[in-house]
Amino acid sequence: MLSGLTHRFRALFRRKAVDQEMDEELAYHLDREAEKYRRQGVSNNEAIRLARMSLRGVEQSRQECREARGTKSLEILGQDVRYGLRMLRKTPGVTFLILLSLAIGIGANTALFSVTNTLLLRPLPYPHPDRLALLWLRSPGIGIPQDWPSPGQYHDIRTQNHVFDQTAILIDESFALGGMSKSMKVDAIEASSSFLPMLGAQPLLGRVFLPAEDHPGKGNNVVLTYGFWKDVFGGAPGVLGRSLELNGKTYTVVGVLERDFRLNREAIPTIGGIDKPQIFLPLPMDSGDETNYGPEDFNILARLKPGVTPQQAQADIDRIATRLRIEKHRDPSFTISVVPLMEQVVGNIRGSLLILFGAVGFVLLIACTNVANLLLSRATARQKEIAVRSALGAGRRRVIRQLLTESLMLSLAGGAAGLAIAAASLKTIRTMHPGNIPRLDELGMDYRVFAFAFATSVLTGIAFGLLPALRVARVDLNTMLKAGSRGAQQGGLSIRRDRLRGVLVIAELAISLPLLVGAGLLVRSFMRILDVPPGFNPDHVVSMQLSAEGVKYQDHAQRVEFYNTLEQRVRQLPGVTAEGVVTALPLTPAVGWGEVDVEGYVAPPNQPEIQVDQRLASVDYFRAMQIPLAEGRWFTPDDMGKNASVIVDEKMAHFFWPHSEALGKHVRNSSKDPWLTVVGVVGVVKEYGLNEDTRMVMYRPNFGSTAYLVARTASDPAAMADTIAAQVREIDPEVPVYNIATMDQRLKDSMARQRFSMTMLAAFAVFAVVLAAVGLFGVMAYLVEQGTGEIAIRMALGAQRNSVLRMILRQGILLACAGIALGLAGAALLTRLMASLLYHVSAYDMATFAAVALLLLAIAVTACVFPALKAMRVEPMQALRVD
Amino acid sequence: MTPERLELPQGTLDLLILRTLALEPMHGWAISERLQQISHHALQVPQGSLYPALHRLERQGSIKAHWAASENNRRAKYYQLTRVGLKQLEAETAAWRKLTATVSLVLDEA
Repeated sequence: MLSGLTHRFRALFRRKAVDQEMDEELAYHLDREAEKYRRQGVSNNEAIRLARMSLRGVEQSRQECREARGTKSLEILGQDVRYGLRMLRKTPGVTFLILLSLAIGIGANTALFSVTNTLLLRPLPYPHPDRLALLWLRSPGIGIPQDWPSPGQYHDIRTQNHVFDQTAILIDESFALGGMSKSMKVDAIEASSSFLPMLGAQPLLGRVFLPAEDHPGKGNNVVLTYGFWKDVFGGAPGVLGRSLELNGKTYTVVGVLERDFRLNREAIPTIGGIDKPQIFLPLPMDSGDETNYGPEDFNILARLKPGVTPQQAQADIDRIATRLRIEKHRDPSFTISVVPLMEQVVGNIRGSLLILFGAVGFVLLIACTNVANLLLSRATARQKEIAVRSALGAGRRRVIRQLLTESLMLSLAGGAAGLAIAAASLKTIRTMHPGNIPRLDELGMDYRVFAFAFATSVLTGIAFGLLPALRVARVDLNTMLKAGSRGAQQGGLSIRRDRLRGVLVIAELAISLPLLVGAGLLVRSFMRILDVPPGFNPDHVVSMQLSAEGVKYQDHAQRVEFYNTLEQRVRQLPGVTAEGVVTALPLTPAVGWGEVDVEGYVAPPNQPEIQVDQRLASVDYFRAMQIPLAEGRWFTPDDMGKNASVIVDEKMAHFFWPHSEALGKHVRNSSKDPWLTVVGVVGVVKEYGLNEDTRMVMYRPNFGSTAYLVARTASDPAAMADTIAAQVREIDPEVPVYNIATMDQRLKDSMARQRFSMTMLAAFAVFAVVLAAVGLFGVMAYLVEQGTGEIAIRMALGAQRNSVLRMILRQGILLACAGIALGLAGAALLTRLMASLLYHVSAYDMATFAAVALLLLAIAVTACVFPALKAMRVEPMQALRVD
Repeated sequence: MTPERLELPQGTLDLLILRTLALEPMHGWAISERLQQISHHALQVPQGSLYPALHRLERQGSIKAHWAASENNRRAKYYQLTRVGLKQLEAETAAWRKLTATVSLVLDEA
C-alpha cells in the first residue's frame, strides 16, 4: 500500500524522470527485439519495424504504461488546475470580485465560529464540567430574579438531595494585606473543603483543605493561587508555613495551587463580585450555621451524580425548595434553581450568538449567490470555448469536472483569505473587549476552526460552482458552434431571457434585507437604551473602591474618622468639585438589599414581601453624582452615623405613599431596628444597567467597610484617580484602593454586550448589502454588454437615449422590488427571533422596515445607474459595425 | 510462423509474469523471451500489454524495479518479486490450478 503510494507520488511529481525511464526501458526492449530479428537474418529496417509492431505501437504502449501507473486522475487534476489558473488570470477583475466575496463570506463565518467554538463548544477547564452546577434562589414574584443561598439552605440541600455526589459552599471576602511594603487588597474565597477538589484544583506545593477544617478551631490556614504566590512571595519554594496578615489576623500558608487553575466571576459570581480569587480560606461552620437561613450571601456548587440530568436534579431540588418555601414562609414564587456551570458562564449570550450565526450564514449565502452569478457570466462567455472542447471529445462529466475544479480553487483561495480576515476580526473583537462577554480571553483559533473554514470553503465551492457548471455543460453543440462570434445567449436586452441570473439577484436582495432590518432594529434599540437617563450625571466623575477593613476599623468610630478625613482631603484637592462615598455604586457588582418595614403600611393579602435596595451614603454623595433631589433635604454632617434619618428614591416614595408626602414618614429594616425618618426623596438611579429595572432604594447616612469613593472633577477625571489614591495612602497605607474607573467608562462597559451584538450584526448587514449591490451591478452590466447590439438597433430605428436608460433602470428596479418584497416578508418572519435582544423597540418596527426597504431600493438604483448610463451612451453605428 | 498459437486468457498475463520473476530478477524483454521459450512458442505473449502490466504490478507493490547492467552490458530495468508478489503468486497459482482442474473435470464428466 505504502509502496503503491510512493510510487504514485514519484510518478506524479517526477513525471519527466519517470517518463524518461520508461522511454529508456522501451528503447531497450526494441533494440533487443530488433537484434533478435537481425540475427534471424532480417534486414535492419525490417527488424526495427517488426520490433515496433511487437510492441503494438510504441506511443500506445507509453500511454498505457502511464495509465497503469495510476496517476491519470491526478494528472487530469493538474491539467485542470493549470488551465483554471490561466482562465482566472485572464479575467482578473471578476476573479478579484469572486475572491473578495468569498473571503468576506468565509472569513465572517470563520470568525464567528471561533467565537462560538470558544464560548460554547470548548469545555470548561474542570473535571466533569458537564456535571457541575450552581444553585440559585429565585423569587421573580418580588423582583428578585436571582439571589445567593444561605448556610441553612446549604445544609438542607446537602443532607436531603439524592442527585449530587458532591456539594460545596463558598463566599468571597476581600482583605487588606498587611505586613507588606505597599497596601494591597486581596480577593479571597472562603469555601468548604470539598470546593477546590470539585474544580480539580491540585496543589503544586503543600495541600488543599482537609474536611476537618470545615469545623471551627482548626487554625487559620490559607491556600495561595499560583499568581499570588509569584507576586507576593516571589515564587519562593519555602513558602509553606509562612504567614500572611489579612485584616490584621495571621494566617499560615499550607498550599499553593497549580499554575493552570482558573476561576473567575464568570464561572462563580460571588456576592462581593470579586473577579478572580487570589487566595482560598476554609469556611468553618458549626451546628448553628446549619439552621442559619439569614445571610443569603453564599454560593452553592454541586456536582451531579453520573447519569443524573440537570432536569432530574432540578426536580429533586424543587422538592426541598417547596418544603423551605412553606416552612420559612417564603413568597409563592420562591424556587431554588440548578444552573449547569456551562449555562452559568455562557447562558444569556447563547441567544445573541445564535442570531449572529444565522446572520453570518446569510452573508455566506449571499456571497455564494454572488459568486455563482459572476461565474455564470463568465461561463456564458466561455460557452463557445466549452463547445469546442466538447466537439473535440471532452465528455460532459469532464467539462463539469473542469469547471468544478475551477470553483474549488476559487473557494479554497477565498477560504485562505477568509482565515486571514477571521484572524484580523478576532483581534478586533479582543480589542473591543466586550467586558461582560464570557471566556473572551480564551478566544482563538484551533483545529476546529481550521476544519470549519476548510469544510465551508469546499462546500461553498461546490455550492456556487455546480449551478453554472451544470448549465454550461448542457450546451447544445450545434447551436453554439453555428451561432456567430458572440454565442447563442447573445443579444438579449431583457432579463427574462436569463431568468436564472434574475432569480439569483432577487435572492441576494431578499436575503440581505432581513439582515439590514435586524441591524436596524438593534441600532434603534441601542439608541433607546442610550436615551434612558441613568439618574445621575456620569460626565467627569471618577470612582474607586476602597476597603477599610483591618482590625482597627472594627471600631465604627475609627471608620467614620477615616472616611471623614478622606472626604475632607479629597474635597480640597484642586480640580475636584464634589465628592462622596457610597456602598453600592451604580453599574458595579456591589449589591445589597433587604426587607423593609414601613410604619402604617399594611401589605394587601397575598402580596409578596417587599425587598428594597439598601445603601449607605455620605452627605455629599448625591451632589457628587448629581442625583436630583425631588423633595426634602440632603443628609447633613449631623446625620452621619446616627441611625435616625433616611433618604428614599422616588420609586419607593410613590409605592408606599402614592397620595401623600413621603417626608417625615418612618421606615425600618425590621422590628428590631429603630425607626428612621424620611428626610429626602431623590431620583431613581439605574443601578443594574440602563435597560434593567431597578428596585426601590433607601439610603442611610453611614459608611460601609467597603465603599466607593466618587469625585466630580473639573478636568479629565481619569487623571485625578492617582492623586486621590495617594490621599488614601497618606491617611492609611493599609487601605487598598482598586476598581478605579470613570462613570462614563462604567456606563459604556455596562452596554458592552449590546454594543457587541449591534456592531457585529451591523457589520454583517453592510457586507450583505455590498455583496448584493455588487451582484445586481454585475447582472445589469452584463445585460447591457450582451444587449449592446439590440440597443444599437433600437437607436438606429429611432429610440431615444432616455428610453434606453429607462428600459435598463426599469428592469433593475423590478428586480430590486421583487427582492425587497420577498425580503420584507422574510424579515417579518425572522425578526421575531431577536425580540429578546430589543429594548423598547417592536420586532416589527414599521419605521425600521420602511427605512431599510428604501435604503436598499436606493442602493439598487445606484447599482443600476452606471450600466444604464453606459447603455445610453452606445453609439449605434459603431456598435453595429463590430459584428 | 508456428501454427496454433494460443491467445492468453484474460488476467493470466500477471500470473505468468509473477511466475517468471519467481526464478530470478529479469528485465522486460527477457520476461517476454522466457515466456515464449517455456511455452515452446505456443503462447503469444502480447508484448504491447507486457509493459503496462509490469508498471501496474509495480504500482500494486507485487514487484519492484531497479536499474542494472544487462547481459549485453547495457542499462536495463530489472524487475523482481516482492513478498507481496510472492504471496500473490501462490494464491493465484492455487486459484488457477483449482479453476483448470474444475473446468477439466466438467469437460471430462459432462
